[in-house]
Amino acid sequence: MSLVNYATREITCKIVYYGPGRSGKTTNLHYIYGQVPEDRKGKMVSLATQTDRTLFFDFLPLDLGTISGFTTKFQLYTVPGQVYYQTTRKLVLQGADGVVFVADSQARQLDENIESFQDLHANLSEQGIDPRGMPLVVQYNKQDLPAELILPVPELSDAINFRDAPEFSADALHGPGVFETLRGISELVLRRLSASGSAGGAATAGHK
Amino acid sequence: MSHVTVVESWIEAPLRQFVSDAGAELALLLHPSGQVLAQHGFARAVDVMTACALAAGIHASAGELGRQLDGKPFRGLHHVGRTRQIFLAEAVSPRGTYIFLTVFGSESSLGLVRLYFDELVAGLVAAAPADTPQPVAPALAEHFERDLNRNLAALFGRA
Repeated sequence: MSLVNYATREITCKIVYYGPGRSGKTTNLHYIYGQVPEDRKGKMVSLATQTDRTLFFDFLPLDLGTISGFTTKFQLYTVPGQVYYQTTRKLVLQGADGVVFVADSQARQLDENIESFQDLHANLSEQGIDPRGMPLVVQYNKQDLPAELILPVPELSDAINFRDAPEFSADALHGPGVFETLRGISELVLRRLSASGSAGGAATAGHK
Repeated sequence: MSHVTVVESWIEAPLRQFVSDAGAELALLLHPSGQVLAQHGFARAVDVMTACALAAGIHASAGELGRQLDGKPFRGLHHVGRTRQIFLAEAVSPRGTYIFLTVFGSESSLGLVRLYFDELVAGLVAAAPADTPQPVAPALAEHFERDLNRNLAALFGRA
């Protein structure tokens, strides 16, 4: 549900980083937070357990700057990846304009990746959203790990990315792929906005 | 006169009235997904987004907690801090159910805030346009990629 304010010429989009536990969703946000100048970001909020596992969500507001004359802001969220936080994932997913699916490239995590991707589709469907219409990119994180521990991108792609979404190899801890992933989802979300107008409202888009 | 920023113009008058009557320091009206509809008192847009995300999270989790413990969701929350208090509640209007968050200090009180919150909701119900706004022309130009690339590069220090 992108929010388009024609009076102040502002666009606000919600992007959710989704994926199994420990795949690197929070790490993506931490890297982005560390790179972005102070005047273009808000405080990063982490509702986490004492062991720094995401309990509810992480949140990072970004001021992207002016695009086509509109001040454009992105709200980046993560969901908790553990299976038992299903309710929380549904809440955070509500109103998302785009999803980054962060997969763990480790071979032993393949089943968790597939299960989480199916969970994403089920949760979108449950909210009345056609998953095929939701802007989505897939990030294969931890590609920096030793080759014997991880699966190559083509193999991961075969197993997970049946929608043929744009995909990115990444090492979120050190940065490679993080920027490209954010750029990929930004372009999809804004392209959808460009194609569909305000997607439901002259001022506030898509409120149900 | 209080400075109120709104996304939809019909919200402005009721919210401005609330801020004035209740003596609120901060006020936010948002969609349950965390998108802001109106705000008073925040200096930076990114701080508004953070407050909205947290308010939506509190509302969602309190609702679920109420369902688990009491069979129905909690619709309101009041928190007393050392110098400021927070009041968060659901505001139902013909345009949908929204979340309202306000922060107030010693010059106001919970009783006043609740009283004027009820008036705010009544004001929103009265002011809400009957029809849902239709999509207008696309917000972004067809070729927005150059702006996007420039801004992202600047964000990541790659300009």
